[in-house]
Amino acid sequence: MILNLITMNGYGLYVWLSFSVVFISCVIVYFKTKKTLKKYEQEFLTELQTLTLVEKNKALESSKVAQAILATSSKVN
Amino acid sequence: MFKFFSSSNIYPLIQKLIKFINSIFFLILIIGLTFALVLSPPDYLQGDAVRIMYVHVPSAWIGLACFSVITLLSVFNFIFKIKNFYFINKSIAPIGLLFTCLAIVTGSLWGQPTWGTWWAWDARLTSMLALMLFYIFYILTFKLLNNEGLIIKVSSIIAIIGSINLPIIKYSVEWWTTLHQPASIKITGSSSIHPQMMLPLMVMLLVFLLYAALIFLMKYKTEIIRIKKKNIKRN
Repeated sequence: MILNLITMNGYGLYVWLSFSVVFISCVIVYFKTKKTLKKYEQEFLTELQTLTLVEKNKALESSKVAQAILATSSKVN
Repeated sequence: MFKFFSSSNIYPLIQKLIKFINSIFFLILIIGLTFALVLSPPDYLQGDAVRIMYVHVPSAWIGLACFSVITLLSVFNFIFKIKNFYFINKSIAPIGLLFTCLAIVTGSLWGQPTWGTWWAWDARLTSMLALMLFYIFYILTFKLLNNEGLIIKVSSIIAIIGSINLPIIKYSVEWWTTLHQPASIKITGSSSIHPQMMLPLMVMLLVFLLYAALIFLMKYKTEIIRIKKKNIKRN
């Protein structure tokens, strides 16, 4: 049965190659997207750190997004 | 109503959705692959080569669906001037390109054992290639142009011109004599595909949709952070 699964009655090369191409492409895109997201989150936090305490509090009060990013990074750290 | 689309409202929802998709994705992927590679029967004519359908068809559908959404949002953006639609389009386009490329590559891998050729300049294949080119031009506008207003105009024009290609792709197998088979699955009317193959196809479509949604949410989240980073000092 396993041999049959691998060879696919002579179509194994085409079937496995198709699934592999899709799988590898999707994995690459996923990790690339995740890396970019992390990079921007980090850059945002660095930017936030450069602000004075008053500016920082003002930014956090006015932006739910800033609060969420800070909360996520606190959880990670 | 459009206030709902503001990034502040959407951002927490995005985080929850990403977590939810991550929690169910692998289970559905394993079920889908088991059905597609083990449980589904071989075709009486194509044999096991038919299993390529489970990655080829969902890829093509998502490639087409993404461009349809891009066109629709481009038109809405023209009318209502909602900038968020531009960021949504920017996040969808790479996903559409990925799946269109995958549909072409897996189609080629399916074509060799069934038609005896990797590629033919027939209507369906050529129109899918044209879709891929439209995606490339669309994405290039974001990479090459600097003025946001100009990007919106140029990308919307590309999307609207490209949308002419969508019905051509859909009906190419009916309008012209092609190597590609006519549609087996119809929204209206009866489908000619056996339920034992329909089920794995639908599960694999769900897997692909979840993956596309996950990538879209991550890209859209990146866009929101990028804008907030720009605005942080202005506040």
